[in-house]
Amino acid sequence: MTPEQLALVQSSYQRLGTRLPAMASRFYQELFSRDPALRALFTTDMTEQQVRFALKLTEIVQAMPHLDELLGHTRALGARHVGYGVHAADYQTVGAALLAALAAVLGDDFDAMTHEAWATAYNLMAETMLEGAASARPIGS
Amino acid sequence: MLAAVATTLRRWPIVGRQSELEVFEKALRSGEHTGLVIHGRPGVGKTRLADECRQWAAVSGYPTERVVGSRTTALLPLGAVVALLPAGLSEPGHDGQLDTVALFEQTRRALHERHQGRQLVIVADDAALLDAASLALLGYLAAQETIFLIATVRTGEPVPDLLAGVWRDGRMERIDLDDLSRTHLDTLLHLALGGPIEAGAGREFWEATRGNPLYVHELVRGALGSGALVERSGVWHLEDRLPSTARLQDLVEQRIAGLSAQARSIVELLALCQPLELGYLETIAPAGVLESLEQAGLVTIAIADQEIRLAHPLHGRVVRAAMPRLRARTILLAQADRLAAASPDPGPATLRIALWRLDAGGRLDPAILMRGAHLARYAHDFRVVRRLIEAIPGDQLDAVGALLLGEALYELGDFDAAERVLARGQQLPGSEPVALRLAVTRAKNAQWGLCLPKAALAINAAARAVITSPQLAEELVADEASVLTFSGYPDQALAVLERIAGGDRRTRVVRAIAGSPALALVGRTAEAIRAAETGFADHVALGDELAIAHPAMHVVNQVFALTEAGRLAEAEQLVRAGADTVASHRVPIAQIFFAANRGRVAILQGRIATARRYYAEAAGLAEANRFAGPRWLALSGLALACATLGDAPAAAQALEERGAGPSFGFREPEQYLADAWTALVSRRPAEAERHLREAAAQAASTGHRTAESWLLHDLVRTSARDASARLRELADACDSPLMTARARHAVALLTRDARELAAAAGDFEALGAMLLAAEATAGAAEAFSRAGARREAAAALRRSSILAAICEGAVTPGLLHVGAAVPLSGREREIVLLAAQGMASKDIAERLYLSVRTVNNHLQHAYTKLGVNSRAGLAQALRSGS
Repeated sequence: MTPEQLALVQSSYQRLGTRLPAMASRFYQELFSRDPALRALFTTDMTEQQVRFALKLTEIVQAMPHLDELLGHTRALGARHVGYGVHAADYQTVGAALLAALAAVLGDDFDAMTHEAWATAYNLMAETMLEGAASARPIGS
Repeated sequence: MLAAVATTLRRWPIVGRQSELEVFEKALRSGEHTGLVIHGRPGVGKTRLADECRQWAAVSGYPTERVVGSRTTALLPLGAVVALLPAGLSEPGHDGQLDTVALFEQTRRALHERHQGRQLVIVADDAALLDAASLALLGYLAAQETIFLIATVRTGEPVPDLLAGVWRDGRMERIDLDDLSRTHLDTLLHLALGGPIEAGAGREFWEATRGNPLYVHELVRGALGSGALVERSGVWHLEDRLPSTARLQDLVEQRIAGLSAQARSIVELLALCQPLELGYLETIAPAGVLESLEQAGLVTIAIADQEIRLAHPLHGRVVRAAMPRLRARTILLAQADRLAAASPDPGPATLRIALWRLDAGGRLDPAILMRGAHLARYAHDFRVVRRLIEAIPGDQLDAVGALLLGEALYELGDFDAAERVLARGQQLPGSEPVALRLAVTRAKNAQWGLCLPKAALAINAAARAVITSPQLAEELVADEASVLTFSGYPDQALAVLERIAGGDRRTRVVRAIAGSPALALVGRTAEAIRAAETGFADHVALGDELAIAHPAMHVVNQVFALTEAGRLAEAEQLVRAGADTVASHRVPIAQIFFAANRGRVAILQGRIATARRYYAEAAGLAEANRFAGPRWLALSGLALACATLGDAPAAAQALEERGAGPSFGFREPEQYLADAWTALVSRRPAEAERHLREAAAQAASTGHRTAESWLLHDLVRTSARDASARLRELADACDSPLMTARARHAVALLTRDARELAAAAGDFEALGAMLLAAEATAGAAEAFSRAGARREAAAALRRSSILAAICEGAVTPGLLHVGAAVPLSGREREIVLLAAQGMASKDIAERLYLSVRTVNNHLQHAYTKLGVNSRAGLAQALRSGS
């Protein structure tokens, strides 16, 4: 990522402000419309799930400028998701849903530069989560 | 100390490959797959992904191993898979053969025991560079599920033949790797550098590498080393331009050139002898050198195995290419001596030592060279056989070595050298089976290579005079019959075969190879087909043995027998399947015979332009592989096809080329059809007639009954001479409906009997002999017209012009009065014949792998050429009989 992209991700996230719960809700809507089968992976109450998602995303966005800190979050998160039955292909669906949710809530503020910054940031998150997932998988075998 | 350093360093990240890793995990766990092939361009990350898979397997509790193909390991069969082999070397048996299957099975059991029955996960990096025997072993172990094989193959290189079997069975998963996307590249840089990179620098990396991971790796490591890439307040900047080379190889060269002398000598050592033990390298490398090499991403340290190797095959290639030969030699010999001193027992180390000495051009233990030669022979790698045995000092070569070398020289087309080596081998002490194989191979070389069948018979007779074992004596008798069949004496060959009572399996196989064509030549086609079928089954059960033809030769024989029996469609189908199979097996003699038989079937079917193509292919293959006899056959066929097409200069040219080599006895009388038709098309009818008569007489005296029938029938076709009585006699003595149809046609031509001519045409058409059907129909038209039956005459003339049109441009005297219809193309003919049988366009499209639209287009063109306007009109015009 470039320093500008890091800044753009953080400032646009901040701009969500009170609309964060709306974005989280929209995210799951986008996710399930892309792949209804994923709904089966969520056993908890969806409202609670949305809150957890928003909190985790906030942590990750804040940690993003410091790689070691970011890895601390994402690797552990990826390792946990193995247990939920999440596969590498699902990460693409999640990324697309996240970008769509941000675009829907931020409106005109989500311009092309911001879109690219988020796409790059999400790839970094996803790859490091997957790395955590890969090292977690054999233990369960 | 080093281990601690190694683990604290940040590993070069792997990005964008997690789905592929999941594919591997699933394939390994499911048990349905026994391997994975990773395809991709150089530098795309095949090696890295394979190693990542291996590491995952290791962490999950699988035993793992890694083999890599290289120029050095390719020197000795099984050189690449030394690490898998059990201790103790197999010895050839009494008959001079190394039981390769037993060796593979021994390896399988040893691995099973070593790993307590757990599946071993093996990475085979650059699988296309592995020697043939190594591939065969890996394919065997994978098929037995002893190993799970991860093979990397560069895009554009085929999956090696010996693995293709497992792969085709759907038992290997396949992954195609591509370069990284821009987003993945950004992530890779972020993770490798540990922080953000300035936008312009990121773009520059993208433009230089276009996402090729190895390129990125080399550029980043290089830029870090040179100080071009620096970190300022948490952000990475490029202070200098990236090297402006478009070639990955140049980049690696630049990096290697920048190493210190000490580091370079370690890298050179690894390039020649990797992997090496960590403990050993720590004793010879000054402190810090290994660490700096690992940090520079040039070497990989496997902590679990305590081994070091170069990080990427490209590093090794670049270093080896730049190393003076003498220096490489010194290193290899020193390492061989070191390993020999450390491991006095024979075992896998022996092979590694041998490899290094061989690469250094040093002296080797003849036993190791012989064993290698046996393995290479098993994999049909005759070049390696030759190189290994020629490395044995002349005075130490034994009879088995002479046999292997002689056979390899024969297969490689060096017939004079083969004769020298095999003759010498017969003077050396050896067991009777070895003596027999020397005699048989020498006779084969004399007959097929040197084109001296009399010498071959003399070699056979001399061997029979001294052999004591009755079983081996019978094999020699079968071999005598083989020489007789393939030098033009089928009657004598069959008489000789009568002397064999039962014979063991090997003898039965040899007998079938000689007997089937002999039976077909004398017109006992049903027996000939059966002999080829059982011979093939026996051969498959026997396995691949020394001094015996390839199993595909039975299929060639069956094609020939089916053709002689007039079962042209079956022959065509079988020859096509057979040719496809041997094309991938590198068996030149079978390839030549398949191509020539395809041409021969096509001539009889009236697909003359197609025949010309296959005969030209056969002639080219025979030329390239220096088979003078088969070349003679192929050029004869080529001349015949050209002459039938009316191309006199091309026919004469083929005959002239044929005349430059020795003549060939096998099916010799038939070959003079070429001389006759060339004379005919060059307007020398008297000469044509003389060729046909003389060849028919030769055929009669040696028992070539099917050929005599063809020759005499052509005499009738082209000169209106009477040979009908002899044709009838031949047809009665044989069991071929093609010969019966010829006899009927000859009588009808002589008596100008319109109905009989039409009936003969129906017989020919039913057999698929379309040119003869066209001629007989034309004859019927003429006879009807003479008899004043105008309506029948017109119908027959029309049908003959359609039949002639599907003969791809044939021009024969029998078609002289046929209206000039535009000839159909080969494809149009194929489609028209299927449509005439009532097949729907959709089904034709499916059978021929075409679209329905293409089929219909072809049909329309054909209708126009033939002057019909519907499928029904076509069927009516082509319906046989009247």
